[in-house]
Amino acid sequence: MVTAGIDLGAKTIKVIILDNGNILIRKIGLAGFESKKAAEDLFNKALSDTGIKKEEISEIVATGAGKEEVEFATKKVTEVTAGAKGAVFLFPSAKTVIDVGAEEGRSIRCDETGKVIDFAVNEKCAAGAGAFTEAMARALEVKLEEFGRISLKSTKTIPMNAQCAVFAESEVVSLLHAKTPKEDIARAVHDAIASRITSMARKVGFEKDIVLIGGVARNAGFIDSLKREIDMDILIPEEPEFVCALGAALIGKK
Amino acid sequence: MFEKFIDWEKNRHKYAKDWKKRTGGKVVGYFCTYVPEEILYAGGILPVRILGSHEPQDITEPYIFGMFCPFCRDCLAQGLQGRYDYLDGIMISQSCLHIRQAFTSWQKHIPVDFDYYLYMPNKVQSKRAYPYLRGEIADFKKAVEEWTGKEIRDSEIDRAIEIYNKNRRLMKNLYEFRKEDNPKLTGLEAMEVVISNQMTDKEEHNKALEEVLKNLPERDLNRETGVRLMIIGSEDDDTEFIKMVESIGATFVVDDHCTGTRYFWNEVIPEEDRLMALAKRYIDRIPCPSKDWEDRLRIPHILNLAKEFKVDGAIIIQQKFCDPHELDIPAIKKALEENGIPTLFLEFDVTVPIGQFKIRCEAFFEMFMEEDLF
Repeated sequence: MVTAGIDLGAKTIKVIILDNGNILIRKIGLAGFESKKAAEDLFNKALSDTGIKKEEISEIVATGAGKEEVEFATKKVTEVTAGAKGAVFLFPSAKTVIDVGAEEGRSIRCDETGKVIDFAVNEKCAAGAGAFTEAMARALEVKLEEFGRISLKSTKTIPMNAQCAVFAESEVVSLLHAKTPKEDIARAVHDAIASRITSMARKVGFEKDIVLIGGVARNAGFIDSLKREIDMDILIPEEPEFVCALGAALIGKK
Repeated sequence: MFEKFIDWEKNRHKYAKDWKKRTGGKVVGYFCTYVPEEILYAGGILPVRILGSHEPQDITEPYIFGMFCPFCRDCLAQGLQGRYDYLDGIMISQSCLHIRQAFTSWQKHIPVDFDYYLYMPNKVQSKRAYPYLRGEIADFKKAVEEWTGKEIRDSEIDRAIEIYNKNRRLMKNLYEFRKEDNPKLTGLEAMEVVISNQMTDKEEHNKALEEVLKNLPERDLNRETGVRLMIIGSEDDDTEFIKMVESIGATFVVDDHCTGTRYFWNEVIPEEDRLMALAKRYIDRIPCPSKDWEDRLRIPHILNLAKEFKVDGAIIIQQKFCDPHELDIPAIKKALEENGIPTLFLEFDVTVPIGQFKIRCEAFFEMFMEEDLF
């Protein structure tokens, strides 16, 4: 049985086509301003790359902040339900799923089938989401990939108090003026995000195993900060940004 | 069927101005549902609850500190913008610190002919609460009489109590229809009825309610009920939020709001000493969390409502910075969850982020439908 999952997120679109639990293809593209068309194009690209016809797909499940834009979807689920389902498929021992995307952080507690028991979504601050790391990398004039790596070199803890991404950037500017090394600033930024995410996750509680998903799970500096902050090991899938799309495709399999 | 209530709610100021014109009576704006409206009504005065407008504003900053809740700032903004310029008086019954700030700021910056701060005790569970409030209500009655130059007679109080009690009974009858497997009215409609109730002449509201109650048994809403929800929390007149939630597979079947059941659940039990009867009603009503201590009497009541209205889940929602509710919410959440009722917590601001709230509500509802999803 072939199913597809489409995750139309705040910044990127992820498509997965699944054949009885085997991933046939993964595709990622920018959502942009015309996200409806971008989703359709990306999905069609995935079809032509695999040689599968749309009619052969028994269920197309959309998820993500823009799921309503995916008009050709046969089913829609939220990223909370999809994320838990996908994470438990990859790591059957998962009980807590932390999902950090471009514009939102989420923490989900689930059972062994991937059923959501409780969840929390960050609501008040951009300083707990991926877009913040991008802004901070820009302020330090380093590439995003490098921003994560250099923070691992630092052993210094510099507290950042700002709750708001804009004021946090002002703090970074002050640190730059004080000639603070870039790696220390990078670590301070990751510590701050990790702290926001942890504080949200405490609302629903942690239970082992913890899985980190979403694009920010590619950032080594953030992972290091999060591990220190929650003082537990964290499992990370190979393609963390695709987990919600995977979960959606799995939900289509029912 | 509910057009009249919706019209009253949407055009509240027009209603009050028309009422003044046609009756020649005075209108008093009140800030909290602990105000014993019966006294005002007996004195020929229309009590209207001051509510916000859910529009972003930038005028309250010099008049109230930013840490007070968005609701009280929104209320004050209405006054500063002159939208309540027809009020002859304002009053409050002592309740939370936030709304008291809005009242005192209004008193200072938007002067009216009559203003009154009624010292409602916070410790309603004290055995001295009845005689204390009786005394305060007697002072209040005297102040109203001095202001209007007209004595409030026992017969007038009796009539006010009768009309208010009738309204409470009719509201409860209306809520009965929400208990059905397919409720005869939506949560949005119920909200329109209860909000309009706080700003119209009860006699007219009663008439409109009787009309609706006559026709409701035949009504078929012809919509999926979905998840049966209870909504619990502070003041809530955010119809946009209710509308959104009911458009994604759920129906609100009951509430615990002061713009809801807390307002009308309890009747006045008449006794010879009218003022004592009123005092007892306001002391014993379903409490606001600012008054619900040392025992939390609201919890067994909420659990009972959940059972009676066959609630699947509860949305707990509070005004941002509302410390009385913040204090109670962990205990309420725990009690509900121990009784198998999952909860979703949300925080109100003047405007709510509908898109973000929608995703959270959808994810919450998916927890009830996982059988279908997996």
